[in-house]
Amino acid sequence: MEESGSVDSVESLCSSTTTRSDRSSASAAELRGKGRATEKVQMDPKKDELPLLPEERIQDVAKDVTYICPFSGALRGSLTVTNYRLFFRCTEREPAFVLDLPLGVISRIEKIGAATSRGDVSFALVCKDMRNLRFVHKEPEDSLKKSVFEVLMKFAFPVSNNMPLFAFEYKQAFPENGWKVYDPLAEYKRQGLPNESWRISKVNDHYELCDTYPAVLVVPVTITDEELRRVASFRAKCRIPVLSWIHPESQAAVVRSSQPMVGQNGRRYKEDEKLLQAIMDANAQSHKLFIFDARPSVNAVANKMKGGGYESEDAYQNAELVFLEIHNIHVMRESLRKVKEVVYPNIEESHWLSNLESTHWLEHIKLILAGALRIADKVESGKTSVVVHCSDGWDRTAQLTSLALIMLDSHYRTIRGFQILLEKEWLSFGHRFQQRVGHGDKNHTDADRSPIFLQFIDCVWQMTRQFPAAFEFNENFLITILDHLYSGLFGTFLCNSEQQRLKEEVPKRTVSLWSFVNSQLEEFVNPLYVHYASHVLFPTVGIRHLQLWVSYYIRWNPRMRPQEPVHQRYKELLAKRAELQKRVEDLQREAANRTASSSSERAGSPTRSITPVQTFV
Amino acid sequence: MDMYKTLPPLHNISGECVLQRAVLVRKKLSVKEGGGWLSGTLFCTHFRVAFVPQDSQRPDDNADPVLLGDHDVALASIDKVVAVGPSRTKLVTPNGSLKFTPEELVLYCRDLRVFCFLFDRLTPDAQVMEITYTIAKTYQPLKAGTLLSFQNSALGSVEMKQFLSNRRRDPNMNWFECSADWEQELERAGATGWRVSSVNDRFEMSTSLNRFTVVPHRVLDTELKKTFAHFNDGRIPRWCWRHPRGSDLLRMASFQNNIYHEKDDIRNLELVLFGGQQMCVIVDLGEEMPSPADIQVAHTRLRTLCLGDISSSVSVPDDKWLSTLESTRWLDYIRCCLRKAAEVACLLRGGHMTVVLQELEDRDMNCVVSSLVQVMCDPHCRTVAGFQSLVQKEWITAGHKFLSRINYQRDCDKEEAPVFLLFLDCVWQLWSQYPARFQLTEDYLLALHDSVQLPLFSSFLANSQRERCRRSQHLPQSYTPVNGLRELPMGEPEEPVDPPFPPVWDWALQYSSSRRARFTQPVSQAPCIPPVLNGNLNTNLERSWHSDGLPGSVFLLSRSSFSNPSNLLPWRSGNSGSYWKSHRRAPSAEGLSGLERLIRACSLSDPSENTTTLHDPFEPILLPLLIGPCVRVWRGCYLRGALHPQAFTHPMFSCSQHPLDQLAFEVQELGEKLAQASVRHPEHQTRQQEPRRLESNLNQNANNGTFLFSSRSSQHQPPASRATTRPTNPSRAPWTASQPSRSAQRISGKHTFLFGHQQESQSVQRYIPSPSAKYPKHPSKTS
Repeated sequence: MEESGSVDSVESLCSSTTTRSDRSSASAAELRGKGRATEKVQMDPKKDELPLLPEERIQDVAKDVTYICPFSGALRGSLTVTNYRLFFRCTEREPAFVLDLPLGVISRIEKIGAATSRGDVSFALVCKDMRNLRFVHKEPEDSLKKSVFEVLMKFAFPVSNNMPLFAFEYKQAFPENGWKVYDPLAEYKRQGLPNESWRISKVNDHYELCDTYPAVLVVPVTITDEELRRVASFRAKCRIPVLSWIHPESQAAVVRSSQPMVGQNGRRYKEDEKLLQAIMDANAQSHKLFIFDARPSVNAVANKMKGGGYESEDAYQNAELVFLEIHNIHVMRESLRKVKEVVYPNIEESHWLSNLESTHWLEHIKLILAGALRIADKVESGKTSVVVHCSDGWDRTAQLTSLALIMLDSHYRTIRGFQILLEKEWLSFGHRFQQRVGHGDKNHTDADRSPIFLQFIDCVWQMTRQFPAAFEFNENFLITILDHLYSGLFGTFLCNSEQQRLKEEVPKRTVSLWSFVNSQLEEFVNPLYVHYASHVLFPTVGIRHLQLWVSYYIRWNPRMRPQEPVHQRYKELLAKRAELQKRVEDLQREAANRTASSSSERAGSPTRSITPVQTFV
Repeated sequence: MDMYKTLPPLHNISGECVLQRAVLVRKKLSVKEGGGWLSGTLFCTHFRVAFVPQDSQRPDDNADPVLLGDHDVALASIDKVVAVGPSRTKLVTPNGSLKFTPEELVLYCRDLRVFCFLFDRLTPDAQVMEITYTIAKTYQPLKAGTLLSFQNSALGSVEMKQFLSNRRRDPNMNWFECSADWEQELERAGATGWRVSSVNDRFEMSTSLNRFTVVPHRVLDTELKKTFAHFNDGRIPRWCWRHPRGSDLLRMASFQNNIYHEKDDIRNLELVLFGGQQMCVIVDLGEEMPSPADIQVAHTRLRTLCLGDISSSVSVPDDKWLSTLESTRWLDYIRCCLRKAAEVACLLRGGHMTVVLQELEDRDMNCVVSSLVQVMCDPHCRTVAGFQSLVQKEWITAGHKFLSRINYQRDCDKEEAPVFLLFLDCVWQLWSQYPARFQLTEDYLLALHDSVQLPLFSSFLANSQRERCRRSQHLPQSYTPVNGLRELPMGEPEEPVDPPFPPVWDWALQYSSSRRARFTQPVSQAPCIPPVLNGNLNTNLERSWHSDGLPGSVFLLSRSSFSNPSNLLPWRSGNSGSYWKSHRRAPSAEGLSGLERLIRACSLSDPSENTTTLHDPFEPILLPLLIGPCVRVWRGCYLRGALHPQAFTHPMFSCSQHPLDQLAFEVQELGEKLAQASVRHPEHQTRQQEPRRLESNLNQNANNGTFLFSSRSSQHQPPASRATTRPTNPSRAPWTASQPSRSAQRISGKHTFLFGHQQESQSVQRYIPSPSAKYPKHPSKTS
């Protein structure tokens, strides 16, 4: 059981409520580590001042605020609001209770009821990371002075208030520039592209063909740019079938697109048929093509009414269409809402499992993993190329292709490879992060919001459980990504498409999450990782083999705190191994030197190379 | 036939004969074994279904016999045999016939393992049919007769009897079979005021109790004898364990024969209950806890859920898995046992009291709770030797009815209930929540779990110590491991009916050394020295509640709250209780609230409460987390037969080892490389000094408790795929070559590491961190 990662200082909610010595010292270490790294926060519980990030400014401080903690009751303390975070400190307790959360996490702020006779107002914050917070505060008597919560409203939803997100102000310098992690040409080159069957097309160089696609596309050599433009008119949102990944040996390809605009009349489109035929022909090993439609078949049929639909097997010779029965963003949003109901704040003990079942969350996870597994199996075992699409090809399609790629290609299981995967399959191919997350937007009822990306990370986590040694990153890495999906500190997950990000100059004006991550990789390394270059992972997808990601969804519950800092001991072993490795090498080098020059070896003092082991005291 | 000559032969146990064999069979490997398929030959004997991999080594004829190879299954473990044909699946019964040639043979075991053998097209059809029939005919049904023939085919040969009689038993564990064993335990626990009584030496006082009982010093044997009549089956209150803070844990059956005439009688009863302490809390395990019948129903449901209904191959739909799992109630029962044990553990922290577990028969839930309490509180019980001693003390010699509960002979279906398996699952829950606090591993728990289904061990083949002793009396040969009853008058020596049964703890008999190597953590932070349990540690817990000062306050713990019902001690309530009448006072409310405060700590409901109460200077209790997501299904055990994740193109996957094993292995290997490098140039004096410094450096660090690596990892075969990623491994050959001689050393050496004497044996390089080095990188240990 690896210690769950608590990622940044929002963690302090629980670290201060932990009860045991080992626990709190563990989280103290964690906090220190994270504080240093994540936010350059020097957490000193004795000092009262709030350490600020560069360009972070205190907007308001309110003394005498009560935080109604669902686990340890009412806590009185002071509340500070900056342009980045909400910071609550209660000093009545020992150790001090601290609550520190980035404003980006807040989904909605509600005033509960009217002011009481004593002038107390109650506020509820609904957060995107599976918790709700409740504060009680006295309204200022001076009606001209703004309440701290009005200030909070303003800074929590900067986009709704025509202010820039904090990511555009935050200027932290990191040793590495994370915006350079992903270079599409280099990534395609790694896959051996272009080759005799696939070419790199510049047709979307200025996002004229499709404004939600990346500039660099890989298409079959036999299809001209002109033909691609014509295919675009037949695919929803012009998202034409393009290559995502190619098998290094069999040349079977994973291709993604949006739904064809078949409509009620079953329209056919020659260029599109030709393109799919060309995709199939590019793989000499198979005379078949699998088209995976992620949607439930009823939904696919219903889409015909709106002009969409699916490929008919009559029109597409040798193609086989498979529906993966994965539900849409609205179903997923509702499912996660139920999960939150079940896990926060309290867990009903006796009906826990049936309650969990009624959320259907694991069922959805299972369907997504099963879909990705079928894709990976067709490509690996069947040596067949596949086309994956849903309706628009930016939600379920991104989940499926990226999961299949993780199964197929060990490169994507490394820390940097995973970053490339996200940059490629999610960011460049236009997963609508702004809409799905709603950065800085107070419209919490927006039907476009949905935890699609969270669900994908959950699937990755499930795979890390089943293959503990196959991933270079640890759980902490995944939780960090999710925390900064909401935090609004980094520019990585802003905007809806590559084009928008360029237009907003996001790479120039913000810091990438990968700058931060890659500057302290040791926090995110899985100590058990073994690099298996050519291994394909086939996870088991039955619900009995899946688990709820307790250390993410239930991390705020102090009764769920990880019990044993096992990862600490892994790290120690790793350090020990590295040290011994170094000593072996030193000795071997020395031995080699001696055999080479049999007499004059004394120059290099032998004792120098042996450094006493002192690290573990 | 010629082709057989190239095949590796089965390493027969003496007296075992092969009934049938099939060639070109592939066995499906579980995740633990690395997944994938293994080709070899399938054998069926009177005792087991054995699978010998193609490339396995020729067995060493001089090696000690191992009953089961790594790929074998004992016939007695098999529950059902299913043949899978081209288009159908059929349950194979002893008398039934097959109308098709199976392509696959699936053996479902009573211990929830599933063995799957795939026949090749080249396997002769006759062999396939014959071995299927043979297995079906030999494995079942388990009746008295077949059981005996099974036992005889395993252990009955002259050579085997000879071998077993020369077997030495594990000296590192406490067997609780003679009074010295109990003395040793009293000393270990630092329990003063208690003594070992041998009034039941000949099972005259109680037939189901152990020969020795620990009772307060102040009670004389003659007085003690009178108390037996007042308890169900004579199971009087007996000492189990002392908490370092000075409280004692006792267990007893329910009261009986409620006529208390004599003052002295009552005085003795109270003395036995209070054992010199001021307060006594009786924990009634009758209500709230699951009954054996409940456990049996839950376990049957769990089995069906995990294995599916084999005969009809209908299984629970995946989307109903969670709610069906919940409805088995198995996890509820586990939670219930853990909660009760946690309550008792917290209660014991109060000091100056006896906590008496009471159950109608004192033979089921008392075993579960008393041993769980000790696993939670006593780090010694989390080592293999300590855990075995614990099971010896609280289960085997205490008279848990293993024979009836396991129901080997299918003749006591009403009594059947896997109470012991429930306990093992509880221990697994603790292990999975606190893996680093255990020296034993999941593999060990699984091995014990699976052994329960094997009717070969004296530990499980009797309902009480008395039966065990009787059985061994009949033996002409002195197989002492079962007990040390030589001095007892022997009955008329009959013709031996049963072969000698070894204790289950003789793991070398069952498992190869590589399997046994996984029974302990490669890196254990188990304390080098058992904590000083002297009972005088009662420092900051001098609470007001026991300043009440009334000797003889007695409370009942039930449903997490305390009460003082008048009929708690029957002699105090009735008219006959004249002795105590004058002393009785209303129990103070203060006392009650003090107790309740103690127990609240265990519920973890109020985190602020725990900061002080749970901070223990020497060893925190392993309090289990009990909320929904924390009590989990033991996948590694119950879902072993289900589908498993697969990684393509690598036959051995690293998760087959304990995660830490892998690292420990590499650290070990590097250490070996260092050693190699250091002996490479021995001719030069100055050069020789250098490596020695290095060696001493390493040792020094080890002695400081700074770091650790295991010798046993060197005996692990590293996963094949990893071997390829490492270019060369020059140090392997010498290690493997010297294995046989080392393995013997290991067994004895293994336990010494626990107590921090690793220097004794050169080959055992297990280093333990000192307690202060527990979490070296943590900035502070302040709470």
